[in-house]
Amino acid sequence: MDVEVGAVLPEWRVPSVSAEKMKTMAALLADPNPIHFDVAAVRALGLGDRPVNQGPLNMGYVMNMLAAWSGGHDRLRRFRVRFLRNVFAGDELCASGVVTAVRTENRVRLADCDVVLTGAGGEPVLKGTATVALEPVTEEKP
Amino acid sequence: MSERTAPGPSPADPREHVGRRFPGGVFTVEPWRAWLVADTVLGEPGGEVAHPLFVWLAATGAMGVTWDELFAWFGATADDGPMFGEHETTVHRPLRVGATYRVSGEITSVDRKSGRSTGPFDVVGYRLRLHDAADGVHVADCWNSIIFPRRG
Repeated sequence: MDVEVGAVLPEWRVPSVSAEKMKTMAALLADPNPIHFDVAAVRALGLGDRPVNQGPLNMGYVMNMLAAWSGGHDRLRRFRVRFLRNVFAGDELCASGVVTAVRTENRVRLADCDVVLTGAGGEPVLKGTATVALEPVTEEKP
Repeated sequence: MSERTAPGPSPADPREHVGRRFPGGVFTVEPWRAWLVADTVLGEPGGEVAHPLFVWLAATGAMGVTWDELFAWFGATADDGPMFGEHETTVHRPLRVGATYRVSGEITSVDRKSGRSTGPFDVVGYRLRLHDAADGVHVADCWNSIIFPRRG
């Protein structure tokens, strides 16, 4: 896989964040936070009238973008993000990224990337950095 | 999925929790759960490699306390609206569907901050490690911070 610094990763889009997926995720996580499934609780906290997407789901969209570009989920080595604002049911999202460095570590070629998840207006909701292996590797000592 | 241990009494100063270890536990990436997580995150279910989101799922799923118990360590409940702050996943070996992982970790930081619109809030950092239960290999790390609004 030939990669250069400055390469733009193909965008990965979510047309409309699903409130039903949030409910499934809340159950999978045993997450009692009602902002993910109870609109009354969202209103009571002054957060509007749509459920708030789980942070891990927002991370997962960006991980999907990295996997689609690099060749699979087994390529991800490091992923660090800051959550900047809430994502609500019905929101449109776009995960994107750009390569900031290409290097070799322990004989494995790696690409460092800036990554961001943005809303329909282009506002970032999650931002950070990631490192992916550019070839399939199954094991590396920590 | 994980052992549940009742938390001790909350200290007056939440910073006293820095260094407090999680009871820990074990987490198996069950095929049904791998499928549902991949579907929920709009990925592609199936395959041997687990979605990397499972680093966070396994770590927090088997840290040995429930979310309610963790929130209670810091004098909060889910109704206070605790939120994700930051997250870091480090993968040394991809997680596999069907594999079992041992989880350990501790609270790493507690910082009181304040914002114009948000008012005061506490930022709690915690780190969790995953070891493959089959061969003991350290396969991943998961660091996170939670924001606890302190609206009074």
